[in-house]
Amino acid sequence: MSSIGEFEGKDIPESYYPKLVKELEPINKRLNAFLTISNPEGGFPFSVKDNICVNGVESRAGSRILKGYIPPFNATAVERMLNSGFGFLGKTNMDEFGFGSFGLNTEVPAKNPFDERYVAGGSSSGAAVATSILKYHVAISESTGGSIATPAAFCGVVGFTPTYGAVSRYGLIDYANSLDKIGVMARSAEDVRIVFDKVKGSDKYDTTCTDAKFTAKDKKKVFIIDQFTKGVDEKILSSFEKLVEKFKDMGYNVENREIRLAEKAIAAYYIIAMAESSTNLAKYTGFKYGLRNERFDEHYNEFFTKARKAFHKESKRRIVLGTMVRSASVRDRYYSKALKVRSLLLDEMNALLKEGFILSPVMPILTPKMAEAESLTPLEMYKSDMLTIPANLCGLPHISFPYAYEKGMPLGAQLITSQFNDYAIMDMVSKWEKDFEYRFKYNLGEL
Amino acid sequence: MEEKELSRLLKICRLELSEKEQKDIKKDIEEVVAYFDILENVDTKGTEVAYHPINVSEKLREDKAEQFGNVEGILKNTKTYRFYVVGPKV
Repeated sequence: MSSIGEFEGKDIPESYYPKLVKELEPINKRLNAFLTISNPEGGFPFSVKDNICVNGVESRAGSRILKGYIPPFNATAVERMLNSGFGFLGKTNMDEFGFGSFGLNTEVPAKNPFDERYVAGGSSSGAAVATSILKYHVAISESTGGSIATPAAFCGVVGFTPTYGAVSRYGLIDYANSLDKIGVMARSAEDVRIVFDKVKGSDKYDTTCTDAKFTAKDKKKVFIIDQFTKGVDEKILSSFEKLVEKFKDMGYNVENREIRLAEKAIAAYYIIAMAESSTNLAKYTGFKYGLRNERFDEHYNEFFTKARKAFHKESKRRIVLGTMVRSASVRDRYYSKALKVRSLLLDEMNALLKEGFILSPVMPILTPKMAEAESLTPLEMYKSDMLTIPANLCGLPHISFPYAYEKGMPLGAQLITSQFNDYAIMDMVSKWEKDFEYRFKYNLGEL
Repeated sequence: MEEKELSRLLKICRLELSEKEQKDIKKDIEEVVAYFDILENVDTKGTEVAYHPINVSEKLREDKAEQFGNVEGILKNTKTYRFYVVGPKV
């Protein structure tokens, strides 16, 4: 199933790469997966989400405020990919700073390759589309609250978010430091494993990056969480029930369980994420990175305020909300409370995951059309992350994979496991892939 | 949320919004903050805060100045005077 293995087993002519770029460019003009395209000049092609720095290539986290920012260094994950012989293909589209579930909070949204009227999912919209259209490619991506699992599900690819701290965040343009995780999208679990092996491991430039040993403990038990099926679209549930039956056939004992605090996770997550992002975005003031305000005669308050007009509406909303929840008068009520709720949820989920895996759909709704997603209120959008947030809030490894097709559009399920047991869920998806063929509308770069 | 409070937050955040944007953001914030209040009834007495989801070990680097390999690359992103970054008046 590994396309990396298949590719490496072939004699690839030098002409392959420029031909691939030529084939990709016109499709990309329609789907907006890539923000930049380069000739990979040898090696298995990989793309990089726009919030991860690539030396000498504009990296702006999908934001106007970073327009023109050229990092003078590679993120550790990128450096490790290049050192392992992969070839850099381009930067991928995303919601500004990762703020979005549908890929719409950007200048030109990526479109779903299965049907262009539908969203690609966010925030790693471009990474998912790129993976879905290219036969030989892997995407270095990033998730804070579901930004890998959601677009992977909508675009029918495998999306892996590792344990928090497994991959160095050095060179990542921060959204929320205690939640951001660099991960991988690919067309198979085996490709995910190959890439994870290359990029994981401690890094002196990221003190939160761990040198822990990653395991593959198969617990033979799968939990279906009551709160993770409540409020889920009936069509999704009906396909999901068939998936559960297949896991039983694969030899897993399936049990229904509750996670008492699951319904509080969205509020706790957004409080922490907004609090952290509001401080991270304070550094964008129009003279050190990207967009430049050249009126140096202005007082700094006026100067900063003018530059910060470039933020998208959603970013402004999160900056204000994040600043509010950290205010001295309400800090205990919101920010400190959310950190304690995370602590309790961690205890609850860790206890459960000692016994088995969690299996659930990725999204509670079918892939929406662009206009449907645009009409959601901010709170409705935040609530649509209800199934991806608990694992992300608790830094738990999870993997999203296609398991059915509803009217031609892919549906994604996710497996969650305990911290550092990352390989176990890759193994499970590898088993799943033996009897389930993924569908793709495009296979650009076929050999 | 009182308008005075919104103005205070916008000033701290160095954000300037039109009247319509202010009206919209105020409505959104009120709705979201009301939702955040569902945490109120969670019993967190005696619970430690979790700043990180994993135990982060204290492995700080030695506090020693190092020369970054590509200073020229940093300065290319800014307006410079000699090797200084030019900024606004303070």
